Amino acid sequence: MKKSSVIGIIVIAIAIAMIIVIYADSSTYSTFTEAREKQSELYVVGVLNKAKTLYYDPTVDANHFSFHMYDNDSTECKVVFRGAKPQDIERSEQIVLTGKMVGDEFHASKILMKCPSKYNQDEVEVIEASTAQIMGFTETPTDN
Amino acid sequence: MDINYVGESLLPGKIGQFFVILSFGTALLSCISYYFATRHKEDHSWQKIARIAFWINIVSVLGLGSCLYYIIYNHLFEYHYAWAHSSRSLPTHYIISSFWEGQEGSFWLWMFWQGMLGILLVFRAKGWETPVMTIIMLCQAVLGSMLIGIEIFGERVGSSPFILLREAMQGPIFSDPNYVSMIADGTGLNPLLQNYWMVIHPPTLFLGFAAMVVPFAYAVAGQWQQRYKEWMKPGLPWALFAVMTLGAGIIMGSFWAYEALNFGGFWAWDPVENASIIPWLTLIAAVHVMVAYKNSGHSYFTATFLVMISFVLVIYASYLTRSGILGETSVHSFTDLGLFWQLIAFNVIFLAIMVYLLVKHKKRMPSTQKEEDIYSREFWLFIGALVLSVACVQIIASTSIPVFNAVFGTKVAPPIDPVQHYNKWQAGFAVVIGILSAFTQFMKYKRTDVRKFYVSAIASLVVAVVITAIVVYVTKVYTNFMYILMVFAATYTIVANGRILGEAIKGKWKLTGSAVAHIGFGLLLIGALVAAATNEVISVNNSGYIAVAGFDQVEKPGDNLFLTEDEPVQMGDYRITYVGDSVVPPNVYYKINYEKIDEETGRVTESFQLRPFAQNNPQMGGLIGTPDTRHYLTHDIYTLITAAMSDTHQQSQGADEQTGFEDYEEPAIYETNIGDTLRYRNGYIVVTGINRNATLQNIPKGEDDVIVGLHLNVHTAEGQMYEVEPVFLIKDGATYDFSKDVEEQGLRFRFSNIMPEKDKLELMVYQKPVPEKKWVVFKAIKFPYINFLWCGAIVMTIGFFMAILRRNKEIKPEKT
Repeated sequence: MKKSSVIGIIVIAIAIAMIIVIYADSSTYSTFTEAREKQSELYVVGVLNKAKTLYYDPTVDANHFSFHMYDNDSTECKVVFRGAKPQDIERSEQIVLTGKMVGDEFHASKILMKCPSKYNQDEVEVIEASTAQIMGFTETPTDN
Repeated sequence: MDINYVGESLLPGKIGQFFVILSFGTALLSCISYYFATRHKEDHSWQKIARIAFWINIVSVLGLGSCLYYIIYNHLFEYHYAWAHSSRSLPTHYIISSFWEGQEGSFWLWMFWQGMLGILLVFRAKGWETPVMTIIMLCQAVLGSMLIGIEIFGERVGSSPFILLREAMQGPIFSDPNYVSMIADGTGLNPLLQNYWMVIHPPTLFLGFAAMVVPFAYAVAGQWQQRYKEWMKPGLPWALFAVMTLGAGIIMGSFWAYEALNFGGFWAWDPVENASIIPWLTLIAAVHVMVAYKNSGHSYFTATFLVMISFVLVIYASYLTRSGILGETSVHSFTDLGLFWQLIAFNVIFLAIMVYLLVKHKKRMPSTQKEEDIYSREFWLFIGALVLSVACVQIIASTSIPVFNAVFGTKVAPPIDPVQHYNKWQAGFAVVIGILSAFTQFMKYKRTDVRKFYVSAIASLVVAVVITAIVVYVTKVYTNFMYILMVFAATYTIVANGRILGEAIKGKWKLTGSAVAHIGFGLLLIGALVAAATNEVISVNNSGYIAVAGFDQVEKPGDNLFLTEDEPVQMGDYRITYVGDSVVPPNVYYKINYEKIDEETGRVTESFQLRPFAQNNPQMGGLIGTPDTRHYLTHDIYTLITAAMSDTHQQSQGADEQTGFEDYEEPAIYETNIGDTLRYRNGYIVVTGINRNATLQNIPKGEDDVIVGLHLNVHTAEGQMYEVEPVFLIKDGATYDFSKDVEEQGLRFRFSNIMPEKDKLELMVYQKPVPEKKWVVFKAIKFPYINFLWCGAIVMTIGFFMAILRRNKEIKPEKT
């Protein structure tokens, strides 16, 4: 057999292995209900329940932060995060959690927040006379 | 409705916009002229036009940049770009960073470097000038189109940095002709980018990206002009230059991430990072195959393909980071500016050029019938390039998951733990690459003396095994077989190339560049592995850990430690104390003392202070911590604030005028007489007398008015005495009182009533609550041997530079 064919076969074998592993490692965006069934690490996308209190008291435990979140099916669940409270989570528009269900609590290992940053909600701070006031307005869509 | 706006400086924007259009137009003209100059070699007028257009293009790119800089530097917030990316409080060097924080600015940077490289080519490329510049000016035109920002056939093309705020947004204030004076400040630069590395990292990175077009252009010219065998000679130093600058840019980004970002590491396999490393790896592979072809005549197609695909991947990287397609999978990509389809077009144009040329010229390309010998350097260079390419395919495939989702409408999420996912593959590839770059150095082109090869290769191998054993023992990575293998591969590379370097110094100077670069690569690999594998969180919270019901059994203690001001905590080898903070708006610096104490004598053997800081920036998402790192030769100690008491931050915002009563506790109301003594938290107050001749500023005393002051002496526990006189006023039948404060003691007094029937004076005493002790929550990580990583990166860059010098010398003898 020619060397090039041997190399070719090896490369193809590695490529197939890679595709399988990428497929196996890839996850899905799911819901709390699904997380309860699967019991494995996955992503849950949702919004913060701002009506319920966010619990973080560093004087008691600097690594315990809990809050309530609605997933995309509007199921509410208590989320516990072993770490410091991410700043400004109150302002978040969307939260992507990584973690798994333990009992009735979702234990998050990572919290990703989408905040109304300067890119998607602009506010011009306006000075009028001496009192500063904030006027909020949104950017016009750029593609029309 | 036309409004005559007052105070807008429209001139710099108008000039800037003119330069935008001019730079696009001249780039296009130059490209077309260079194209015809290549087609009609005998006619020099085309080349003349092309060159004139090129120089105008350079001038307009510089003019464009100057206008934008002028706008940002002078805080002309009527322009959206200045408003969105800078603020008045930014120091000058960060104004430079805000220049390229936005997409438009970074496109400009790319155009600027491409223009500079173009100047070099116009002067030095000689016979290659016309075809090479055709491609470069095509790219310049495409980049220029990204900044146009005008509508063509109802579609907006590009995004201009000179757009006005009132054009970009709608709002009530823009109906006021005087709105410019009402804009207080810009939204500012993202605090994470306020780092000196952000001044130098983007220009280096974009120089790397811009340089990638040159080898691509040479490859295109080589096929187009059918000068198949010649293009690699001038193309190679350019490819090495691109590899060097892009590599330096990537490593600077990684150092910035380590120094300034809060994810606690130097590489996170974030899509944005991946996007920049993919073309770098393919061009590294290309460089190796080019060298192989030059020396053996093998693998011409592979070399050409790799050079071309590298630049196409640069464009793909821009598409990934700039089109917003990455969405939530990346923490720091740009959002879509409306350039989505334009970026795709950019990709398609250059991909089409590549595919067309490769297909058309495939048959005529130089090739050899004979297969490479196993004991030949070119064979193993080819294998190395292949492994690098396969490694790239893995990174591309995993990074492109959001792209696949968009194309096929699926909703696949990327791997939960990306670091682990990528490392699993890339560690294996790194081992193979390490071993290959060791023994291939002992091979000769075409045919190697097998016996000699084994003697040198095995000798180095034995030395490498011994060193590996020592390194593994010292750095404590023996827990994992893969780690040991990687250390071995890296060590083998260092040893083998060290040997080549030794010989090179004696005479074969030609190989020094490659040997040095490979040694750098080996060091980098060891540094990255050891730092990533053995970094440990030292702020483990187990002493002050209070159980939360039903929780502590399943979870290990967390990584964050709670510190109260002036209360030392033992953390690993160190006794740490939070000693307070200092405010330099908008940042708050938290001072944390580290002391190492000798257990027997109790003496402090080592002490230092780290000052991680945080910026409370509501616009950017709250408290953003920037770590501080103590660097040692063998390890680093990295400290990051993850939460802090909010008071300190309010102070830094400057809202400190406390005129209201909200800051005080409920008052104590006393009915007193002269001579009475009242207690307060930190001492006592003596009512010493009434001042009937009290006066008040701004309030004239009328005939029937009564102004009475109550004179008080405040004695503190420390023995100090303050005198204070709150005032009571009856004016026109109404009663008023004027409070007086003793700031130092947090006291406020109101003489609130005179009760003649009881013969009493009413005094209200307000006290501020005892300030809560300041606290911070922080995280500390120890990174062992990370200096190998930085040191390796520097050595590798030096190696590339030496290789450029050598390859550049090779062109000179045969001038065209």
